Amino acid sequence: MQRRVIFPQRALPLLLLAPQLLITLVFFFWPGGQALYMSVLQQDAFGTSVRFVGLENFAQVFADEDYLQAFWRTLYFSLAVTVLAMVPALLLAAMADRVVRGATGYTTAMLVPYAIAPAVAGVLWYFMFNPSIGVLAWWLKAMGVDWNPTLDGSDAMWLVIFASAWKQVAYNFLFFLAGLQSIPKSLLEAAAIDGARPLRRFWTIVFPLLSPTTFFLLVVGVVYAFFDTFGVISAITQGGPATATETLVYKVYKDGVHNLDLGSSAAQSVVLMVMVIGLTVLQFRFVERRVHYN
Amino acid sequence: MLTVPEKHAQPKGSRAGAQGADGLSLIAKGDAGIDNMQLSQGACTILFHPIFLERTDTMKHILSVVALALASALPVAAQTKPTEINMWMGLTGQGGELLSRFGEDFNKSQSEYRVIVSFKGQYPEQRAAAVAAFRAGNPPHIMQMFDAGSGDMMHAKGAVVPVSEVFKRAGLQFNPADFIPPARGYYGLPNGDLLSMPFNVSTTVLFYNKDAFRKAGLDAEKPPQTWPQLIEAAKKLRSTNAAACGYTTTWMAWVMLEQFSSRHNIAFGSKGNGRSGVDASLTIANNPVLAKQLQTLVDLQKDKSFDYGGRSNDAAAKFISGECAMLTQSSGGLGAIRQGAKFEFGTAQLPYWPEVKGAPFATTIGGASLWVFNAPNRSPAEFRGVAQFLNFLKSDKVMTEWAKTTGFLPATNTAFKAMQDEGFFKTNPGRDVPILSLLEGAKGDNTNGYRFGRWTEIRDVFHEELEKALQGNQSVQDALRNTERRGNALLRAFERTAS
Repeated sequence: MQRRVIFPQRALPLLLLAPQLLITLVFFFWPGGQALYMSVLQQDAFGTSVRFVGLENFAQVFADEDYLQAFWRTLYFSLAVTVLAMVPALLLAAMADRVVRGATGYTTAMLVPYAIAPAVAGVLWYFMFNPSIGVLAWWLKAMGVDWNPTLDGSDAMWLVIFASAWKQVAYNFLFFLAGLQSIPKSLLEAAAIDGARPLRRFWTIVFPLLSPTTFFLLVVGVVYAFFDTFGVISAITQGGPATATETLVYKVYKDGVHNLDLGSSAAQSVVLMVMVIGLTVLQFRFVERRVHYN
Repeated sequence: MLTVPEKHAQPKGSRAGAQGADGLSLIAKGDAGIDNMQLSQGACTILFHPIFLERTDTMKHILSVVALALASALPVAAQTKPTEINMWMGLTGQGGELLSRFGEDFNKSQSEYRVIVSFKGQYPEQRAAAVAAFRAGNPPHIMQMFDAGSGDMMHAKGAVVPVSEVFKRAGLQFNPADFIPPARGYYGLPNGDLLSMPFNVSTTVLFYNKDAFRKAGLDAEKPPQTWPQLIEAAKKLRSTNAAACGYTTTWMAWVMLEQFSSRHNIAFGSKGNGRSGVDASLTIANNPVLAKQLQTLVDLQKDKSFDYGGRSNDAAAKFISGECAMLTQSSGGLGAIRQGAKFEFGTAQLPYWPEVKGAPFATTIGGASLWVFNAPNRSPAEFRGVAQFLNFLKSDKVMTEWAKTTGFLPATNTAFKAMQDEGFFKTNPGRDVPILSLLEGAKGDNTNGYRFGRWTEIRDVFHEELEKALQGNQSVQDALRNTERRGNALLRAFERTAS
């Protein structure tokens, strides 16, 4: 049953929406438009010589070997982050669901990583795993692991994957917990009476009913891994060593801010924008069609 | 996303520009529409209006006195608002604090100008912010730009005003010969003028852990002077386990490509390392001495005689924590080492390969210089303030305090001589190593530095390729070839935008 709110005049709803619309215009549409504009220009850093070059920047970006490698690297990175963020979250949510006393306490404790800014989280993990002065790095070396994210590309990649996933677990946990709690207990009890064991109950009842949540978190997780992990990568590895942790979003930053190659950077961000629009469209269409609702 | 600093988000073309848009500052500037004379005239017109003058003579007398007092007080009240000069710097820690203090000292010494020194992030972030501010029409008056950014700054038409020109316009004396020859050569134009003012000049030095040397059975008072000696020391440090790693370096491209090439008088680019033409190219693929050096690093990495510490300043932590016993670093890194090292350390010049004829040549400078930005709403008064502040910074008093406190060198000849005369280098052994490394080494065609656009990007290309070689994923020769190929593509792109 849908409820609709009717406003007597047009002025009030527009006024109420105005602050949000203004923020969206200034912080989303304006930079987006600027990126689109700059992606078809070739200019020096100071803007003293500007040339229109059509789609040449895009052609150069797609022909660039480094860009294609960054693309595959980003896919690998987002998959790893998403899976690593969702599996523990589901496990923890299932456990928190069974707890009767102190559930709020556990939930609050679980939420803390989500509240930390990405760059701060990055710096924390950088210090803990720094091969010279890090506490956890010391443990790793004591266990015989040759830990060197400054030189070893896969060490660096796993470090940023874990740091990014750690932050996202809390978000997934919240949604999974809400999803679990909305499953009617009657279904699970009926299955228990029929003799289904806990694990079977989970796979045949709980998991399918969680599918809208899972799908939503998958898309949000991929978008998170694509964009919000910038702070973590910037704080820990700065895309190194030898571009081992240079994801697409970090490459946009490096080319634009460090190397001041504004045309290429703008073209790359337009490509990223198209990708995330595609992902979001996918999510909306699927959510309406394929997933189970109660 | 490039952001414009809030302070400077003023509309383009407004005359108030960097100052506030209030009327008092317009009056204070003196070149606004209203001036003090007109204000006094206005005040007198009102006060001497016939309506008031119909009263008695004493009233007239009182009124005239009051009018005069007001007329003279107003301009005085208005004129005490000083012209604001904004300077952005990229130094942190001790250097940053001292530079901010110099700004305060200048403000206290006079009342016409007020300098605001702000930290806008490390050099790359600061440069991006300055570029954004320039595009918005309101760049800082002075910006501290690191050595590698000089090529980009030079070719930005109309974005900067050469510092010689700034002094000339302000009517202040400025002699490029005041500055030490390497700095003058690096930042100078063909006609002898200076583009930017050298301030925090550094060069590469070798810091070594004397305690670790003693533990390894090496002579702590005789640091390695050549690369073979350094290799031997590093291996001894590892074999006796006096240190977890023998040698590391900060600023990989600056030390291993730029400084190394200068030390052996080898060109790494055509056209005088890019100084005489924007169509220059890199020439490192066919460089046997450089290849030998990089191969040495790759070989030493295997047993941690050399341990890679990252592209910028991170490796300093390896030395300060005692992990690595030797460190090639900017002389400006002395402050952090002095503060953090819990061992006795010494300083030596950058090593060289004795088989190269004529070596050791002079090292080149690093650090940063001060650039003056141009903007459509800059007034002559502001440029005068800039010239006054720069003049203050290059005075002997400031330069000697700067060099004595931080590890940066005295950038002017008179400051260096003053430090020598007062015996600073005798009471502080090792503090003259950087400047001697610049002045004592032989001069050659390729010891004057370089001038390439997009150099930070090219340095990163060098870092990437060298990292692959250190990981064992490609040969040193391939690393050099790839660096040359990718670097030249960037130089050609820069050439297109610069013409």
